[in-house]
Amino acid sequence: MSYSDPQSPLVRIEVDGAAHPVPEGITVIQAMWKIGRPMIHGVGCLGGVCGACPITYRLPDQLTSKTALACQTAVRDGMAITFIPSDSSKKAIALIPAAPPNQKTLFQYYPETRRCTACRACSSVCPQEIDVMGGVRAAINGDLSNVAEKFTSCVMCGLCAAVCEVQIRPHRVGMYARRLTGAFYPKEATRLLQRIEEVRSGKYESAWNQLLSADDAALSKYCSSEEAAQKLAS
Amino acid sequence: MSRLDESKSLVIEARAARMKETQALLSAEEKDALIRRYHPDFRKEAYRPIRLGPNQGEQTVHELANLLEGESPVAAEAISLSPQHQVDLLIIGGGGAGATAALTAKAAGAKVLLATKLRLGDSNTVMAEGGMQVAVSAEDSPVRHFLDSLRGGYMKNDPALLKTLVEEGPEVAKWLMDLGVLFDREEDGNLSIRGGGGSSKPRLLRCKDYTGLELMRVLKDCVLNEQIELLEFSPIVELLTDGAGSCTGAILKNLDNNQYIVVQAKSVLLATGGIGRLHIQGFPTSNHYGATADGLPIAYRAGAKLTLQDTFQYHPTGAVYPEPMAGILVTEAIRSVGAQLVNVKGERFINEMETRDAVASAVIRECAEGRGVETPAGRRGVWLDMPMVDLVNGEGTLAHRFPNMLRQFSRYQIDIQKEPVLVYPTLHYQNGGIQINVDGESTVPNLFVAGEASGGIHGRNRLMGNSLLDIIVYGRRAGRAASKRATEISFGSTTLRHLDLFHDAQKKAGVVPQTVSPMLFPDYAKKNE
Repeated sequence: MSYSDPQSPLVRIEVDGAAHPVPEGITVIQAMWKIGRPMIHGVGCLGGVCGACPITYRLPDQLTSKTALACQTAVRDGMAITFIPSDSSKKAIALIPAAPPNQKTLFQYYPETRRCTACRACSSVCPQEIDVMGGVRAAINGDLSNVAEKFTSCVMCGLCAAVCEVQIRPHRVGMYARRLTGAFYPKEATRLLQRIEEVRSGKYESAWNQLLSADDAALSKYCSSEEAAQKLAS
Repeated sequence: MSRLDESKSLVIEARAARMKETQALLSAEEKDALIRRYHPDFRKEAYRPIRLGPNQGEQTVHELANLLEGESPVAAEAISLSPQHQVDLLIIGGGGAGATAALTAKAAGAKVLLATKLRLGDSNTVMAEGGMQVAVSAEDSPVRHFLDSLRGGYMKNDPALLKTLVEEGPEVAKWLMDLGVLFDREEDGNLSIRGGGGSSKPRLLRCKDYTGLELMRVLKDCVLNEQIELLEFSPIVELLTDGAGSCTGAILKNLDNNQYIVVQAKSVLLATGGIGRLHIQGFPTSNHYGATADGLPIAYRAGAKLTLQDTFQYHPTGAVYPEPMAGILVTEAIRSVGAQLVNVKGERFINEMETRDAVASAVIRECAEGRGVETPAGRRGVWLDMPMVDLVNGEGTLAHRFPNMLRQFSRYQIDIQKEPVLVYPTLHYQNGGIQINVDGESTVPNLFVAGEASGGIHGRNRLMGNSLLDIIVYGRRAGRAASKRATEISFGSTTLRHLDLFHDAQKKAGVVPQTVSPMLFPDYAKKNE
């Protein structure tokens, strides 16, 4: 499987202090393969959604480092890269309560959340560009559905927790707020509940009997005729 | 202006006219001819017969045949088979199916060990974008879901497996919602549903274009909350059997110190996923780094029968440009809301809502016949005109519904709200796998399988949104059945007798193994060995 054009020009990257020439236009993860660096930790979906590969990197014309996901970042000349362990903060055993949540529900597991100093460090490191601090503030205000919305695209890389000076774990707060919001959604999905009831009450039994006893020709007829399908399915 | 930019201009110019055009669906004959001519499953030179084992004489691709006939990594070594772990149920694989099975088995009272090659959650599940099919609307029904899936699978689906899949869909959706999965909802609280290729009614539940991420985050959180025993960075390398054909445990490998770990278990559940990272026929893949079909050769050596091992799904729209995105999925849901596929001249060439195999074949045809666009790295593709989504549905639709897609391309300075992108089929899914019954049990007693490693549910072509359903429905069923089995039997003796039998079969068939299997990681990723 080729993942780079053999003709592409080389750029020099620095990984944990050592310099390596690699082809231009590949991702940081692909560059790790290219330079023969073992990749077991710090690699995952390669599609930007699993949060396994957070890195910091600095470019020659920059004073400070940036954070990113290694599978979503193309190498650039002079890039100095360090891999960071994914999601190193501790997760609370936070179960879904029996009764609908209130403000205390979240704080009993993540009490440090209230200490937020609004420094914005969490938002600045998020590779998903989430308004992390806004999410933390919404959690403090008890607006769980707003927290849930803000953390929709969270890949749980944990960079936000790693940089928080008061040890808030925003991604975990976001995850718990999402679960609470989902489990206690204010309106019922009535059509789903009806369908479950229909299945339980045996509404489709005769259709299943016909289908599972049908030979290939009969099945084929059901599949190809809208009329037959309609009759069977209703 | 480069040829690529010239072609892009044509696409944009022709957009207004294209919006008014309709593209008829193919007749059954046209579709059949298209697929036979261009679908990779029909390239004879890519296939060969399997030379030994339960599927001897049947065809599969060279890449898989080599794995199935491969040598066990523990075959030549003298290793102690006295177990370091004894559990009721050993689950291999930390994706959606494995996590679901672990939760179900734990709830049923079984002592569970969950082992996974990378971290818990690292899997194709987390990457699933489009949604999960469940027949919830009034005009829909599980029976319709069944018929659509059967038609999509070329009538090769196992009817009993498929019936169970669609019938348990609504209940499983409720189970997930009770765990806190946040599917997109309508104003009135009902689940928001969309259409998918090959489906006669809209029935895709989703969480924007992060459906798999949403499911996996919640399932992982639940597994951690339940404090289920976990072995991460510990892939399976071989099964253990009792010498009489039943599975009794497995050998894992700790990737950090290369030591083997022997686990004795009353039942074993493989949720090892599919084959994408084997890059069959040289295709790029949308799959996870660990998708190297590890469960297949291991189960095969223990005597498990495979089914439909010769058919794979090539998702029609994998990105081909920019180069770092090659293979990454562009969800089918984008086509279902108006994005069109167009060739180098800006012409539409297929109805975008045909099944995936037909759309993929049409894209391959356009490129094979010179109507594709070449990228600077030498790949070929056709345009997916995504800005149409906002034109058809209103400005902001792409940003609201497909934030993941928007972000991924924007990292490379491509704004999908303004520009079309280049796509080509990407190896996406293993349609077949290890044969199971409705309890998820393979033909080897006490060896259960769930998720993409299993075969039969989807026939020869899986409809969009049926795999997220499959991993939950069959993760639960297999988890339940495997833990029940564990209460009924005692520990069996742990032997590698099945490897001796496999060696005898190799000799008899004159097979010289070409590789060690399982592969664990793709060959271009140099490993710490």
